[in-house]
Parts: sequence; structure tokens; C-alpha cells
Amino acid sequence: MAGKKIQSAKRRRFINNSIVHVILAILAAIWVFPIVWVVLTSFRAEQGSYVSTFFPQSYTLDNYIRLFTDTTILNFPKMFMNTLFIAVCSCILSTFYVLAVSYCLSRLRFRLRKPYMNMAMILGLFPGFMSMIAVYFILKAIGLTEGNLIKLALILVYSGGAALSFQIAKGFFDTVPFAVDEAALLDGCTRWQIFTKITLPLSKPIVIYTVLTSFMAPWLDFIFAKVICRANSDQYTIAIGLWNMLQKEYIDNWYTCFAAGAVLISIPIAALFLYMQRYYVDGLSGAVKG
Amino acid sequence: MRRRAVSAITAAVLTVSLAVTGLTGCGSGDGGKESVRLMVWSPQGDQSVDQGQWLQTCCNAFAEEHPEWDITFVYGVADEASSAGQVSQDAEASADVFLYANDNLTTMTDANALVKFGGKYREEIEAVNSRTSLDSLTKDGEIYGVPFAINTWFMFYDKSVFSEEDVKNLDTMLEKGVVSFPFTNSWYLASFYIGNGCSLFGDGTDASAGVDFGGEKAQEVTDYLIDLESNPNFRIDADGSGIAGMRDGSINAMFSGSWDAAAVKEALGDNMGVAALPTYTLNGEEKQMYAYAGTKAVGVNTQSDYMVQAVELAVFLGNEYSQRLHYELENVVPCHTGLLADEEIISDEVVAAINDTFNRTSILQPNLAEMSNCWVPVENMGKGIRNGSITHDNSAEQTEQMNEAMNSNGI
Repeated sequence: MAGKKIQSAKRRRFINNSIVHVILAILAAIWVFPIVWVVLTSFRAEQGSYVSTFFPQSYTLDNYIRLFTDTTILNFPKMFMNTLFIAVCSCILSTFYVLAVSYCLSRLRFRLRKPYMNMAMILGLFPGFMSMIAVYFILKAIGLTEGNLIKLALILVYSGGAALSFQIAKGFFDTVPFAVDEAALLDGCTRWQIFTKITLPLSKPIVIYTVLTSFMAPWLDFIFAKVICRANSDQYTIAIGLWNMLQKEYIDNWYTCFAAGAVLISIPIAALFLYMQRYYVDGLSGAVKG
Repeated sequence: MRRRAVSAITAAVLTVSLAVTGLTGCGSGDGGKESVRLMVWSPQGDQSVDQGQWLQTCCNAFAEEHPEWDITFVYGVADEASSAGQVSQDAEASADVFLYANDNLTTMTDANALVKFGGKYREEIEAVNSRTSLDSLTKDGEIYGVPFAINTWFMFYDKSVFSEEDVKNLDTMLEKGVVSFPFTNSWYLASFYIGNGCSLFGDGTDASAGVDFGGEKAQEVTDYLIDLESNPNFRIDADGSGIAGMRDGSINAMFSGSWDAAAVKEALGDNMGVAALPTYTLNGEEKQMYAYAGTKAVGVNTQSDYMVQAVELAVFLGNEYSQRLHYELENVVPCHTGLLADEEIISDEVVAAINDTFNRTSILQPNLAEMSNCWVPVENMGKGIRNGSITHDNSAEQTEQMNEAMNSNGI
């Protein structure tokens, strides 16, 4: 009697698990589908933007080679380097801004702390590109909209507003006990030393998160780059380049290269993530005992 | 009082600066060369080394023709469709000379960013262009650009499937082969309505006349389109399916513009046929389809510091030499009347077809601001027929709705 019960419970669990796994498999296939399609397209030998088959009829590496060799119409290598430079610079700057602001708001007590947090909260409610045209005219007035200064302008645009998005990092810093700071203060640490030697090492996951998001924003941005670069094709970022490949004049010729470009831009992000994800593992473990 | 003081100062400054330039003009040693900085925008293709650098070649030729100016050219990239947006966003920081498509004319004249061509320049432009191409760039009697190319769409077909007689009528073609048409794109779809007497803003310039895409004549077209869509030999061209079908042979005719000519040539080789728009048979009567046509033109920015040089360059970029070079390097179809009379150029099938379309089977796309309300309703008509929500039962009502939407500016 008891044996039967156990068996039926087992069977029920098996059935449940099977159903769950089938559903998950279907969902996973749906989610991965577009990515697989882009990767397949990037290796497709047939030209054009429309195909009647899911799998390419023949495969080639030419699309990748062409991206880096055919540079007279759309200079992909140059755009790639432009974007990489802008993304790395603004990543460093905005990571510093975000972490510094979060630390101050979490640890220091000053009169404007509350008003600042309220203001940041309200400003954060507006979409960034609302100020796009105003930002463009300000940059133009300072003379940053011509030549190589466009890169500087873009770095400023991407990192300038970073201090407003401190909420997540501040929340994390709040979980690091004050006792640790106090102990350090007693031992003669300055605020800066506490920040760099204690808070940051204890908050690796959030530092990584900040680095990743502040790298990805400029790496993927289209709208600000488009408004600020205008006709300066030597300053184009990859987002503009990829968009250009889909214009009526180019789409038929460049569509497969577009897919190749889309695969390539995911590489730096993926590399950064793979390198940094090991630090994601609980940064707080072993920090505070008993 | 203050205003008078300001104007007095301005006058003084102007006189002084005139005197100074006058003096330097006489005194400078290098033959009195005026140094000029011109910013020029064109699509990337016109500046590509692979395609012969049309823009640079023309600009250098222009500089050689004018030794009295020491010109520095600054090149930027903006294609004909997007330059208008850039220029009207910030004319001051935009190119002195740029290329634009005539349907963007109003965008720029509204922003007061486009120079009128007058005097001898106007005469020069008028002498070498057809009335239609001039009209496409005229607003309130003023000419706003130098036309350099015709911009419209026409038909590509497979000569091994259709004879020259067949391609004169769409319904004949559908009996013999598979035809693909951008059914959900209003730039193309409106051609059927215009063919049956529907009109846009009177002759295209009278905003108060409104759009007439309603009544029985429009409903007949809607009914025709419903049948066309269900024809087994008809394919809707969207997202490049037309050109893909030409490549694999599943489609024998498609409608597109000169930008697809090279790809079609590659797909069909010697079997590539090009023709103006066909007629279609509506209730036993032959109706001609009419495409929207326009021109691409060289424009000059009102904020240019070197107005004379900029206007001269614009006229130069639209002259016979530049248009011929443009055609030879990139197959840009010229609109210069002298070139279109040239045996060698007019014997090119694509040029002949575009020219035929422009002269015979097209209407000028109105460049009134109200035109912007006309795109979405027609597109929705195409989509409604495709997904089956518009049928013979409700075609009258749906056509009226389209007409109403085209005449209103509600969003």
C-alpha cells in the first residue's frame, strides 16, 4: 500500500517536471530564436534582405570580411573604434560618478542630501532625449560639435547625467554595516580610504553592475549620437553605421553585413560580462563576522 | 533711440568692413584671391573612392573654373532624404550646399533655410530643365534648387516571361507571370487611385482644394485592389521580398526605383526589362497608373557666409558636366534636357524608362505640408486589404474613411 503511494507521488512529480520542462524549452526556443536568426544571417551567402528559408542555403565569412575591408561607403572599423573609445571613456567616468555619489548619499549626512535625492528622483522621471535638442545647442555654443571634439561631446553627454542614477548602488552601500566604517575611522582611515579600501571591495557585484550598464548605454545609443554627429561621417558610431546599412540605397547590398555587424557589437559586451561575472558572486561573504 | 544707435553702429561697421575688404582686395599679393570655405553635403556614395568620388571631382573642377577664389571644401555626409531634417534642425551649422529630395522642400522653406535662385542663375536653370522638374522645385513662384536627378519608381520585368506588348497592361501581365507590387506602401499604392481620376490638392499646388480620394471612382479602385490582392499570380512586395523573388525566379516583375537597378540586372542579366507604369483594366476600361514623381536637387543654405560662391557651386553641381559624370560613375539618372537628348544616355533602358515614367505616367508629388496627412490612410488601406478586413462588402465605407483621414490633420 505504502509502496504504491510513493510510486504515484514519484510519477506525479515526473509528469509535473516533464510539463514544466517542455514549457521552458518552448519558451527558451522562442527567446533564442531571433538571436540565432541574426547569427545565421550574418553567415548567409545569399544577398538581400528577404529570404524564403530560415536556414541559409550557403554559408560564408565574406560578410565579416567585407565589414572590415569595404570601407569606402561605410567605414565600420572606424565606427567601431570611435564607439569603443567613447564607451570606454564614458564607462570610466560615469562609473566613478555613480559610485562616488552613492557613497556620499549613503554614508555622509549633509543638509542637501534629502533635497538632492528628491530632485534626482523627479528628474529621473523624464526621458533623457527630451533635452536632446537643448543639449545639442549647448554643445554647439561651446564649440563641441565639429571634428574630433564630437567624441568629447558624446562622452560628456553619456556620463554627465550619471550622478542621477545612484539609487541602486546607494541601496547596496546601505547594506554594508556602518560598524565597518566606524572601525576603520577609529584606525585612522580617511573617507577616501574607506571608500576605496573597504566599501568598494565589499560591493563588487554593484560595481560590476554599474560598469556594465554604463558601458552598454553609450555602446548602444543611437539617438544622441545621431543628433550630435549630424553629417560628420568620420565621427559616426556603430549604431548610426548599422542604421545607415538599412537605408533604401544600401539595404539590399549590406543587409547580411548588417547582421554581421550586429553580432560583432555584442562581442565587447559579452567579453566584459564574462570577465566580470565571477565578481558577481556574493561580495559580502566573509566580510563581517559574528 | 536705442534702435537708431544700433543701426548707426551697424552701418558704420558695414562701411568699415567694406572698406577693409575693398582695400585687401586691391592690395593683396596673390592675385587678389578671396579665400572661401564651403561645406558641402552629399550621400556617402558620391564621396566613395570605389564609386569615383563624384562630389570631390566636381568640386575640384569648380575650383579650377574659378581661379579668383581660393576655396577650401569641407565634405559631410547627408543623403537626399535626411539632409532636410539636418538643415532645418540647425541651418547655421549645416552645409552651404547640399543635396535634397524635392518632397522635403517645405520642411526647409518653413525653417527659412533654403535660398531662392534668381536673376541669371534662375535663367540658367530654366534653360536646361523641363517644366515639370522646375515645377517640382517651385514654391510661390520661386525656384529653390538646381535639379540634378529624377526621382520616381517604375517597373522591372523579366523579358523571357513578358513581351513588350504584355507590359502595357497589368492584368495581361498577371495572366502570364507573377507580379509583385509594394501594396502596403502608400508611395506606390496611390498610383491606382490617381489613375482613376482621384486627385490631390487640385493640380497639386492648391491646398484649399483638398484631397479627392472618395466617391464612386475611388471605391471602384478599392474593389479592384481587393481582387488584385487575391489574384494567385500577385505577390505583395514588402521587406525586400520582390527583389529576392526576382533572384530566385519566383517573381517575374516588380516595381521599384533606380536604386534597385543594379541588383535586378545582376539577377536577370540580359533578360532585364524596364518600363514605365502599365495600365490596369477597371470595369473593362484601361486606366493608366500614375506614380508620384519628384526630383533631387542641389540646395543652398540661407545661412551661408559665401553666398555667391555657394550659389555658383550649386548651379555647377546641376550642370551638364556634373550630371553626366554622376550618370557615368553611379548611374544617377539625369534630368538635364541636353543630356536626355543625348543618344548614348537615352539608349540606356533605365534612363529611358524613368524618363518615360516622368513624362507620361506620373504626377508631381505635391510638396505641400498637407501632403503629410496622405500617407498613412492609403497605407492602412493596403494593409486592410491584405489582412482581409476590407472586403467588397465594406469597401465603399472604408474608402470614404480613407478620404476623410487624408483630408484631416488629426492624428
